[in-house]
Amino acid sequence: MAHQEFLDQVDAYALGALEPEEARALEQHLDSEGPHPLCEAALARAREAVATLATDLEPVAPPPRVWEGVSRAIAKGQEPAPRAPELPSIPEPASEAIRRLRPIPPWVYALAAAAVVVLIFAGINVREAHRAAAQASAAAAECRKELAETRIDALRKEDAIQLLLEPGTQLVALKSSPPAAGPVPPGSGIVLFNPRGRALFLGKSFEAQASHDYELWLIRDGKPLAAALLPPGPDGRVFTEVPSKVLTGVRPAAFAVSVEQKGGERDAPKGPIILTGAVAAP
Amino acid sequence: MTRPAEDGTVLDSVRRGDARALEELYRRHSSRLYALLLRMLREAADAEEVLQETFVDAWRRAREYAASRGSVEAWLITIARSRAIDRIRNRGARLRLVKQSEQMAPAEPAQPDAPDVHAQTRLRRALGTLPPEQRRAIELAYWDGLSQTEISRETGDPLGTVKTRVRLGLQRLAELLAG
Repeated sequence: MAHQEFLDQVDAYALGALEPEEARALEQHLDSEGPHPLCEAALARAREAVATLATDLEPVAPPPRVWEGVSRAIAKGQEPAPRAPELPSIPEPASEAIRRLRPIPPWVYALAAAAVVVLIFAGINVREAHRAAAQASAAAAECRKELAETRIDALRKEDAIQLLLEPGTQLVALKSSPPAAGPVPPGSGIVLFNPRGRALFLGKSFEAQASHDYELWLIRDGKPLAAALLPPGPDGRVFTEVPSKVLTGVRPAAFAVSVEQKGGERDAPKGPIILTGAVAAP
Repeated sequence: MTRPAEDGTVLDSVRRGDARALEELYRRHSSRLYALLLRMLREAADAEEVLQETFVDAWRRAREYAASRGSVEAWLITIARSRAIDRIRNRGARLRLVKQSEQMAPAEPAQPDAPDVHAQTRLRRALGTLPPEQRRAIELAYWDGLSQTEISRETGDPLGTVKTRVRLGLQRLAELLAG
């Protein structure tokens, strides 16, 4: 990319108004083609102008739980857990949330079979959900927390099933690579991939590690592209949506999971590849 | 921007793994960022989550910060807006947001940081001098997370025209605010 081309687009870049591939081209210009004092100065000017637009707003104090969440996340050295939504005073019974998971059309037998796989990975457990609901009357505070988690779990499963039911969605099973060897427990996972720009990773048996992160890679044209970090929950399950900007462009040939140093890698996996799975041709 | 030198020093401490330094950055900037995210995402739960992600991201990526590319506040706003735009695009609600005219319910005003009235006045004056079409293009990108292509689709203006409006509008704004 020429300097002038960068300068022509830097304002839109600072505003976040470029398409993902255009933004990547500008970032590559800055990062891999040597120092560019003029381009950096133009970027600084544009960013300051963009930042100034926020001064038109009255500051609003965020609730204390936000900082508490940040503090917990950095103490654990991992991504923040998904938010626990505010519960209504009478929380929705877990059974209601789970009942909503049943709208799979009976004629979609193949999809239903695949949905079972999704549910296994997402970890549906009706008994536990009922048990949590029953405990709500006895230990309200504790049960509210459990119900919140159950609801999140149910919503995630619903999201996964809806994606699975969308035309063109493919279930990519990721296999151990190398098979179950090495010091890092490989876990197992699937990717629900829709070529129209959505992908969800669902995994189980992922062990959270203090000094490492699991990272999902997308293999396109023989090259890896960092897709997302995969923070496991306390139960070892992973549910991560791949940012849509990563999915734009040519259809990926495969997905892979590696174990990287904290924060992950940007350009290519440096740690061991523990799972891989090929995307079927259209 | 406010306190760039101090922010830079604080960020140096964050780079060395000082969580209290991150808390100090949070204390200084979270109210402004939260207001921005509330305006962009229109849902308090989403704004809280993205604000949390922003500071966790800042903690992890502190080493990537380059003062030559803008102030710490501008860097934090870039992170927050980038995550908010991802979220807007993921939930496919861009057009809904554009058409949504109702204002946010009044939220709890910030206690620690009084609004910078002088800066607000200056910004409003600067925005007021922009041609309406330039201002509209910038606002669609800034608040609603639309790309230039989407702005072109939304307004019916040619893509090249939209690109010119964004570039000239932001450059003009930068000049007015710097002057």
